[in-house]
Amino acid sequence: MQARQGAATKRGRIVSTMVAEQNVYATQFSSIREWLPGSHLPWVEQLRQKGMAEFLALGFPSTKLENWKYTNVAPIRRITFEPAIDHSLSFIPELDSFPRPRLVFINGRFVPALSEVDAEFNCHLRTLGEALGDPKRLSIIEKHLGRYTNLSDHAFAAWNTAFFTDGAYLEIPRGLAVEHPIHLVFIAAGESDPWACYPRNLIVAGEDSQITFVETFIGSNNTVYLTNTVTEIAAGPNAVIDYYKIEVESCQSFHVAAINAHLDRDASLTSHSISFGGSLVRNDLNVSLDSEGAYCTLNGLFAVDGQRLADNHTRIDHLCPHASSRELYKGVLAGNAEGVFNGAIVVHENAQKTNAVQHSKNLLLSKQAQINTKPQLEIRNNDVRCFHGATIGQMDTDGIFYLKSRGIDEREAKKILVRGFAAEIIAGVRIPTVRERLEHQLDSWLKRVLEAS
Amino acid sequence: MLRIRNLSTSIDGKPILRGLNLDVHAGEVHAIMGPNGSGKSTFAQVLAGRDIYKIVADELSFDGRDVLGMAPEIRAREGIFLAFQYPVEIPGVSNLYFLRAAVNAVRGHRGLPELDAVDFMSHAREQAKSLGIDDVMLKRSLNEGFSGGEKKRNEILQLKLLEPRLAILDESDSSLHIDALRVVADGINAMRSPDRAIIVVTHYQRLLNYVVPDHVHVLLGGRIVRSGGKDLARELEDKGYGWLEQEHERSECKPDRAQPPREVAS
Repeated sequence: MQARQGAATKRGRIVSTMVAEQNVYATQFSSIREWLPGSHLPWVEQLRQKGMAEFLALGFPSTKLENWKYTNVAPIRRITFEPAIDHSLSFIPELDSFPRPRLVFINGRFVPALSEVDAEFNCHLRTLGEALGDPKRLSIIEKHLGRYTNLSDHAFAAWNTAFFTDGAYLEIPRGLAVEHPIHLVFIAAGESDPWACYPRNLIVAGEDSQITFVETFIGSNNTVYLTNTVTEIAAGPNAVIDYYKIEVESCQSFHVAAINAHLDRDASLTSHSISFGGSLVRNDLNVSLDSEGAYCTLNGLFAVDGQRLADNHTRIDHLCPHASSRELYKGVLAGNAEGVFNGAIVVHENAQKTNAVQHSKNLLLSKQAQINTKPQLEIRNNDVRCFHGATIGQMDTDGIFYLKSRGIDEREAKKILVRGFAAEIIAGVRIPTVRERLEHQLDSWLKRVLEAS
Repeated sequence: MLRIRNLSTSIDGKPILRGLNLDVHAGEVHAIMGPNGSGKSTFAQVLAGRDIYKIVADELSFDGRDVLGMAPEIRAREGIFLAFQYPVEIPGVSNLYFLRAAVNAVRGHRGLPELDAVDFMSHAREQAKSLGIDDVMLKRSLNEGFSGGEKKRNEILQLKLLEPRLAILDESDSSLHIDALRVVADGINAMRSPDRAIIVVTHYQRLLNYVVPDHVHVLLGGRIVRSGGKDLARELEDKGYGWLEQEHERSECKPDRAQPPREVAS
């Protein structure tokens, strides 16, 4: 009884602080809105206001919501994040491994000095802020921006919609195959934490076009900040999109991302979502297969240790017949880390001949590490081929003994096994520089984890 | 080289080896034979350092040094090699990468410089060729999807690359057709040398037609019940293990020993 009373009081207090916390952001919003990109455009203004209103109405998600059951965002709620204003260059990572074309953003703002875009580049590769100032692009942007993000469903995406500062705008004209991968590098840097960055990307790929782009999120260590990012992708008929999202934020930071993609007839999207950093990471990847023959492959890898949490939510909507999806997410968890995988596949009434396969595979390196994996198949017609499976395993002791019996020491043996586990995802990365960086990233993660244990 | 006195092992309280004695000298090839469940594989695994068994021994030494306290990777670097009966599949790790890691671990211990990827590749290719292992197999994930014969040949490749002083081959002949058996046997014979000892653990006499042993031991009920020359293997091939089992049981028939339930032929 006492405990219940305590809980009630506690809850009462939380409700009042929550309102106060969101009011802080409402105040922030009214003081910065006129400086945000697109403020001269009434429809952008309306979109932002709608985002703000939805964020205020929804509040921070509680663990009572099914979609946030295992991810408590209280650590984010408790902090007041100031909008990032200084884009001081105190921390600039090595950029050589991001060959041109690349767009670099620090704290959500474009930094031309660090970016490299070829002048003769044949498509519209620029920043969203810039594009909103170009009258020729406006009708297209208005048609897509915010259209694929359900504001009443995702508080963080609503928040981003109100606050977004900048990001990439990629418009690929019909029939163009962009040869080089486009690197979008998001750097969090600053001294006066906590601050928040709100990147926003819009990719519009025309019919028969082809594009590869890589979002990389990097932060300097031991800084507390929030990255709240949204990417919207519209793929025209037969467009081919290769998308990489690589998150190596600071271990103290928070990273919440929503990626919403819509695929037209015969379009294909291959996504690799890889998370190494952040104290709390949440990815929502929603793919809507809007028309016949659309195809998506969603691959994911997350490595978490210490007290960290990584949560991957994906949703694939099969809306039309003959669409296919493949999904494989792998998690490596050490220390007291927690992982969440929730993969929903919704096959709608009309989506006959759907082919969907989903796997979640997880490797626990410690007894305390936890994974909650939940595949969700919702099938509304009976002419489909769907399969899903989830596995959770520990380090294979036979494998370790085998390697040790060849002279390899225990730590190296464990590294080899984890690398082998991750290889299924990393080997699928088709850009050599990115793949090498990931291998290196995994090695330094393993070094840290195995030396701590 | 290898000296074993009164070696006993158990797992979950169930005894497997019960007072095994063996001496192996450099240059010798020993065959350990015995029916299923006699403890052959346990013996091989214990020598390599598998830690799932409870082990008691008066002596288990290699070149006069106690082996029991050595971690498996140290034993390997000191020159003890086990060709596994069931090599472990490790997805995502290329065979070549694994082989190089193993060779360099052992070389490092012997004070030799590490081999880089290019040098190692040509060295490994050369050794692999004689075993019918091609580049494709070198680049595949370690043992993953390998056929039984491919796995066994890959173990022999490791034997050739690691050049141990004591090689224990656990059922390296099982699941091999006759051509593959010859390839494996040739690989083993090529490794015979005055300063190396080989222990061939096998259920069948077949391999011993090609790899002719100096000594043959019969393992039954966790101890060596008979030792002899190569002719003992042939005798076992003709007569089976039954006659030895009966002899063994007679000698074991002491009041303090509970007989395990016997299967009755129906």
